[in-house]
Amino acid sequence: MTDKKDVWQGTLALMVLKTLQSMGPLHGYGIARRIEQTSGDLLSVNYGTLYPALLKLEQEGYISSEWGVSDNNRRAKYYKLTRAGRKQLESEAREWEQTTEILARFLSPEQES
Amino acid sequence: MPALRSFFAQLAALFARQSRDRELTDELESHLQFHIDDNLRRGLTPEEARRHAVLELGGVEQTKEIYRERRGLPMIETLLQDLRFGARVLARSPGVTAVAILTLALGIGATTAIFSVVYGVLLRPLPYRDSNRIISVFEINPDGQRSHLADPNFDDFRDQSRSFQTIAKYGENVVSVSGARQPTRTSVANVSPDFLKVFAIQPILGRDFIAADAKKGAGPTVLVSYGYWKQELGSPQDLSQSHLKIDGAIYSVIGVLPTGFRFPADVDLWLPADLGGENPSRTSHNYSAVARLRDGVTAEQANQDISAIAQRIHNTSSEQGDYLLKDGTVIPLQDAITGNVRSPLLVLLGAVGFLLLVACANVANLLLAQASVRERELAIRSALGAARGRLVRQFLTEAFLLSLFGGSLGVLGAYWGVAGLVALAPENLPRLDSVSISIPVLVFSFLLSAAVAAGLGTFIALRATSGDLRKGLEQGGRGEAGAQGSQRAGRIIVAAQIAITLVLVVGAGLLGRSLMNVLEVNPGFRVDKIVAMDVSLPWVEDPKAKAGQAIFFSNLIDRLKQIPGVRKVGAVNALPMEDGGGLPDGMFLLMTQNELPKTADSFGPLLQQKERVGSADFGVATDGYFQVLGIPLIRGRIFDERDGPDSPHVAVISESLARERWRNQDPIGHTIEFGNMDGDLRLLTIVGVVGDVRDYGLDAPPRPTVYVNLFQRPRSAVTLTMLSDADTRLVTSAARGILRDLNPEIPAKFQTFSQIYSASMGSRRFNVILIGFFGIVALLLATAGVFGVMAYSVSRRTREIGVRVALGASSRDVLNMILGQGLRTIFIGVAIGIVGSLALTRTLQSLLFGVNATDPLTFAGVTLLLVGTALLACYIPARRAMHVDPMIALRHE
Repeated sequence: MTDKKDVWQGTLALMVLKTLQSMGPLHGYGIARRIEQTSGDLLSVNYGTLYPALLKLEQEGYISSEWGVSDNNRRAKYYKLTRAGRKQLESEAREWEQTTEILARFLSPEQES
Repeated sequence: MPALRSFFAQLAALFARQSRDRELTDELESHLQFHIDDNLRRGLTPEEARRHAVLELGGVEQTKEIYRERRGLPMIETLLQDLRFGARVLARSPGVTAVAILTLALGIGATTAIFSVVYGVLLRPLPYRDSNRIISVFEINPDGQRSHLADPNFDDFRDQSRSFQTIAKYGENVVSVSGARQPTRTSVANVSPDFLKVFAIQPILGRDFIAADAKKGAGPTVLVSYGYWKQELGSPQDLSQSHLKIDGAIYSVIGVLPTGFRFPADVDLWLPADLGGENPSRTSHNYSAVARLRDGVTAEQANQDISAIAQRIHNTSSEQGDYLLKDGTVIPLQDAITGNVRSPLLVLLGAVGFLLLVACANVANLLLAQASVRERELAIRSALGAARGRLVRQFLTEAFLLSLFGGSLGVLGAYWGVAGLVALAPENLPRLDSVSISIPVLVFSFLLSAAVAAGLGTFIALRATSGDLRKGLEQGGRGEAGAQGSQRAGRIIVAAQIAITLVLVVGAGLLGRSLMNVLEVNPGFRVDKIVAMDVSLPWVEDPKAKAGQAIFFSNLIDRLKQIPGVRKVGAVNALPMEDGGGLPDGMFLLMTQNELPKTADSFGPLLQQKERVGSADFGVATDGYFQVLGIPLIRGRIFDERDGPDSPHVAVISESLARERWRNQDPIGHTIEFGNMDGDLRLLTIVGVVGDVRDYGLDAPPRPTVYVNLFQRPRSAVTLTMLSDADTRLVTSAARGILRDLNPEIPAKFQTFSQIYSASMGSRRFNVILIGFFGIVALLLATAGVFGVMAYSVSRRTREIGVRVALGASSRDVLNMILGQGLRTIFIGVAIGIVGSLALTRTLQSLLFGVNATDPLTFAGVTLLLVGTALLACYIPARRAMHVDPMIALRHE
């Protein structure tokens, strides 16, 4: 547990969007668990910061929410991606890919040469 | 986009916060449940499962707080919180709040009402395109006064100046008009053809004047106002059949002017000037002039331009003397229209501003007293960690609430206040129709309210939160030490209030005394029981036609005498004190019987001989006129049957003229030539001297006057005067019937002379009523202020007084102590007020009559009044202090 990394600022939103894209509508706990699982349990989501982040995304219009009932009959608030969210996800994902690519190029060849 | 979107979402989140809070709690609860379920599945005991879930979720309240901050707009939420709290505080003491709001409403409302008049009359641009480019052009006479223009001078200004796009002249007149629905006396303007171009307007129907319309002998044409076209002509689209009989001639209506265009004020018809040809004299000042400045030319350049031309005329003209222009000038049209009322209106605005200050001072005192009651609350809030800034903001918010309510109420009040002002306003106040609660006025009163709020709030906040607030707790709620400071502030406010009130009341007193002085002036005539009837026949030049008109008036007068109750009837060319009226004035010549001049042109050289020239007003009257107005005969006789059209022409002169021109001589029997006024060159023999008449208002000295006999020197427009004991309405309708009988096409306008007389004092009365009203209200407010501060101080000092009495102070000592404290405040206020008044009443100088701006009597009277009322206001709380029972007072707290 202790060597798990906290999700760093700015990437949580992207992860939420990606999770919702691949999983479909999901409640807050589900999103958190899914992010942790996807990271191979390397990341831990601070549940306290998750909900304000969800609120921000909703206010910006990237996701929408609705109360629903889970498989085991629990009431929960389900979030889903909106059309604007899908677009946002695409553009942000592209940016991240670029950034990481650039960083990768910086880091790997230099170390070798 | 997303940023904007979230802003609106945050704004929306300010509402229904409770249900949103509940939703978050539910969501977090369901999160916990999911987690516990998972943990149970992993084999933990229920307690362990719950414990882990709660731990991992972290501080729920913290999460909620972050969530809330993200959800809404924290700044606005604090503001709303302040507002809610402020409203609660205000509602907790409804009496104080109501008084504060009403006081502010009074101050802001009165200021708004007066500002709306100032804005409408002085500030609002004239309703013409680029109205700041329109200027008035004047001649300046040798006395340095602005005067109207003579025709040849206007022509020179027009032809030689390079500063104007367009320049036009205009004159005003009231004439008989028939051919529309019914014969009426209508205001008309005689204008040169470019008149409308100056204002950059065009007829909405038909055509504008062209140069040919103004040529001598052109077919008479007329432009009509929109209102006249609608109401009197029945809005015909085709004007070719519209004709009006104006002053006896038939005019074709050629155009309709846009709605709202009434320049000069109240004019309905515009006719070409000089259809009978121009007047070649450079000393007959018959026209006003307006011009539009050429692009890029400043008013100052135009001024130099006109001045140079005027001086050239002055130096080269063959007509010299007191009536030839000396210089010329231009001023913006708006200033020309409103110049006379500018300073009285600004004085009013200043006065109402003082009233507002006094009102604010009262509210400040109320709030200060409130604040010291709230010391405990402030102490607790500050002990709980509220920063001073937060507390100051709280006070500001409350002050803002108060002035917003007060301001709104005040503006509502100002709506009918303005209606009242317009009704009360003197007739000669120009542009009254543009006075209303308009958008700029509303903006003004909103800013005013905000300024009041900022001032009040800052003052109270700084006072209430100064020093160590936490002391309020130590005192166990008695709050005496802190109250000392606020009481001192209260006394300073009251002193200021007294000072300002003193200035206002002194101003009102000076104006009131001026009005009384004016009313005491003997006008030189009787005012009551006189009905005036304006009648004008078509203007004629032919002597025979003129004689016919004299016979018409003679018949009319005879018939009017038959009306039951009518004792005397007379006629005159203009009644004294009539607005915009007055007798024409000119220069006459002393002549001997055998010196009859052949033509008016031969006057020129004679006018150079100073010793035979006199200047006087020219009255045309009948014998009955002197009897109706009760103008006393001092020497000789007035006109009678001997003075027929063919017998030698006679004149009656006023006492002051006799004194001025025939010092130590008997004027009777002397002959004068005054034919330049009416074109009849026959000499006038002076047969009598009558009393002086104050023609131009009671506050202007009487003018020397020459009266000639209407039956010898007929004219077409006269005012008939009837002295009657009967009811005015009966006389009016009988007179109307008689006129219709004699000539159904001639309209008449009726007024009682007392209406004219009291209208002549309209602006003086307006100022006195308003400033007097402000003064009284300020006095009441200041008295309430003194009373409030003293009563508060006594109630705060009950314990102290109890101790003093217990230690042997007599009730007399207590009374003296309290009164002494009050007196100090009052005297400081009065002293400052007197100094302030001495400095400020100087601005009133031009409005005063027969009283000095530093009139000691007024100052002493007002000071006594103020000190008296203020002492009374102190005495009541002081008496209460006197009867403090030490036992009760000491147990009291």
